[in-house]
Amino acid sequence: MSKEKIKKMRDIPFERLLASGTAMCAGCGALEALHQIYDILGKNTVFVNAAGCMTLLSVYPFTPFRGSWLYTSMASAPAAAQGIRDALDILIEKKRIKPKDNMQVVVLAGDGSSYGMGLSAASAAIERNLDFIYICYDNEGYGNTGQQYSDATPHAARTSTSKSLTGFQYYKKDIFAIWAAHKPAYAATIIGSDPLDLAKKVEKAKNMKGAKLILALSPCPTGWTFHSNETVKIGKLAVETGIWPLKEYADGKIVHTKIPRERKPVEEYLKIQGRFKHLFEPQRNDKLIAEIQNEVDKYWGHYNH
Amino acid sequence: MYRIRLHGRGGQGIKTAGRILGEALFLEKYEVQDAPRYGAERRGAPIFSYVRAGKKPINERGIILHPGLVVVADETLIEIPAAGVFQGIAENTVFFICSNESSDFWRKRLGIDSQIITLSQSEEYDTALDFHYNSSVCVGAAGRLLGVISKESLKQAIEEELSVFEKTVIEKNIEISLKAYDELSSYEGIVKRGVGISADSYRRLNWVEPPFEGADISAPAIYDSGTSELALTGLWRTLRPVVNKELCALCWHLCGSFCPDSAIYLDEDGAPQIDYEHCKGCLICVMQCPRRAISVEAEHKKTKEAKGA
Ligand SMILES: Cc1ncc(C[n+]2csc(CCOP(=O)(O)OP(=O)(O)O)c2C)c(N)n1
Ligand code: SF4
Ligand SMILES: [Mg+2]
Repeated sequence: MSKEKIKKMRDIPFERLLASGTAMCAGCGALEALHQIYDILGKNTVFVNAAGCMTLLSVYPFTPFRGSWLYTSMASAPAAAQGIRDALDILIEKKRIKPKDNMQVVVLAGDGSSYGMGLSAASAAIERNLDFIYICYDNEGYGNTGQQYSDATPHAARTSTSKSLTGFQYYKKDIFAIWAAHKPAYAATIIGSDPLDLAKKVEKAKNMKGAKLILALSPCPTGWTFHSNETVKIGKLAVETGIWPLKEYADGKIVHTKIPRERKPVEEYLKIQGRFKHLFEPQRNDKLIAEIQNEVDKYWGHYNH
Repeated sequence: MYRIRLHGRGGQGIKTAGRILGEALFLEKYEVQDAPRYGAERRGAPIFSYVRAGKKPINERGIILHPGLVVVADETLIEIPAAGVFQGIAENTVFFICSNESSDFWRKRLGIDSQIITLSQSEEYDTALDFHYNSSVCVGAAGRLLGVISKESLKQAIEEELSVFEKTVIEKNIEISLKAYDELSSYEGIVKRGVGISADSYRRLNWVEPPFEGADISAPAIYDSGTSELALTGLWRTLRPVVNKELCALCWHLCGSFCPDSAIYLDEDGAPQIDYEHCKGCLICVMQCPRRAISVEAEHKKTKEAKGA
């Protein structure tokens, strides 16, 4: 018997739990995913937020949340989550709070934190099988400080610290594989432009015990340079070109939840973002575009569905 | 000393405009200070930058309280008290508003006697839709109104400050700046230098010393929920989405799911409504509605209609 109730769009709750009035940029893809996630997690959620754009959600005396929120340094959100989890468990055991008032402990962290500075703390928390959900909103750079490159920046993207004609010289780290290698309870990739896939995965994570990763590619109009009205279009293209595979890990298996039948050329995703403009203007860089396409083809060839 | 304050929205290049102006004044052998003030630090949110320039070392610090020139890159900011466009203005403060409306229109609207200069004579700017270049218009205009910046210095300053961009971008910005510079030739040097403020006239601020409290009171803990709704981010918007209920297929909440800001709610018919107090005008809903039931209107037209102007 499955505990999952969400099967189609109309099953998704539309509570708008995350209040409006936050300081995120117009068209922020991370906020788009977060407000969908929050509607499914519900009010009994405590967020542990590593420094990044999202820590500006809650700036005294304003908060968009309906419950608790804690601000931590970039590297220590999973450790703080452990402390909160332990405190809640002790309070329940001592009957100082009722089991029905238990809360889901949720880390909210950017890619700079999740792929880099905070990875060691996350690894240790998974190892201890901490019962928590880890949401990483991945805008592929240090958004809050002006989009410097991070370990999640894709090859060839321009960032404020990779301004050469060929952009960022290294490659995006596969954090999903790193999490999966830890054998956590659950790990999934999501995107705000696919609310149903997102809802199903978050609902699954919510009903499981142990360490769970929700990894959201988060198109960022400011850092990626595109018009704020294109956030969803770019999100959909990331999936349709195969650049952002929607998948989940559970019970030692990785399953793709959406396999693009005919993958669009990566070019369609790249050419509408300012951070890849140098691949097309003033001269087309066929070599780099082909290299990016090749990486994607290799990935899907490997899974060969 | 010249004291210039430039107002705009995050993403419109106001910080860069301040730097260009500062650089141009520097090239004209002025001592210069320029800095941005970010506020919400987000695209669309009001920000300003300021420039001081004088022939002697500048000892003044902090934001400019008594500007000689106020430049407004985005006229929708005038409605917004929090943007602080009118902060510290005096009779001799000159305004440049990047707007196609006439000076008279703005003087009446604002009920002030100050010298207000706009672009009403020129045909080509669409200040609402082409706002990417508003900051370049402002730089050119400010350069002319100050009357101490030559065309060459202006051009060189733009080239230097925009050097990370492609040539075509730089050229377009120079072209737009110089056009504004040329058009305002009759106002050359209209901005007067403000007098230096001596340290003797400095009045101590009336700080309130709060009593020392325990952590349960003094820590910045928020005990209420959803208080961010008190922040009216609808003020960031320059374009507004408008739902046509007739076309809406009541697909329930596709637009509402995509709206990052929870600014779309459902009315009693289950039809989406926009919360204009908070909608930031990203326009994702307009792009994503499968029935194209959401259209776009310029915000400044809307406010003018409302005021019957
Ligand atoms: C140890 C440390 N170094 C630097 C900073 C400054 N800082 C604040 S937010 C941020 C960017 C974080 O990037 P990411 O985790 O990707 O989140 P985003 O800003 O993209 O939302 C940085 C570098 C910090 N808070 N702590
Ligand atoms: S910089 Fe990017 S991730 Fe950060 S608030 Fe803006 S759009 Fe969102
Ligand atoms: Mg980031």
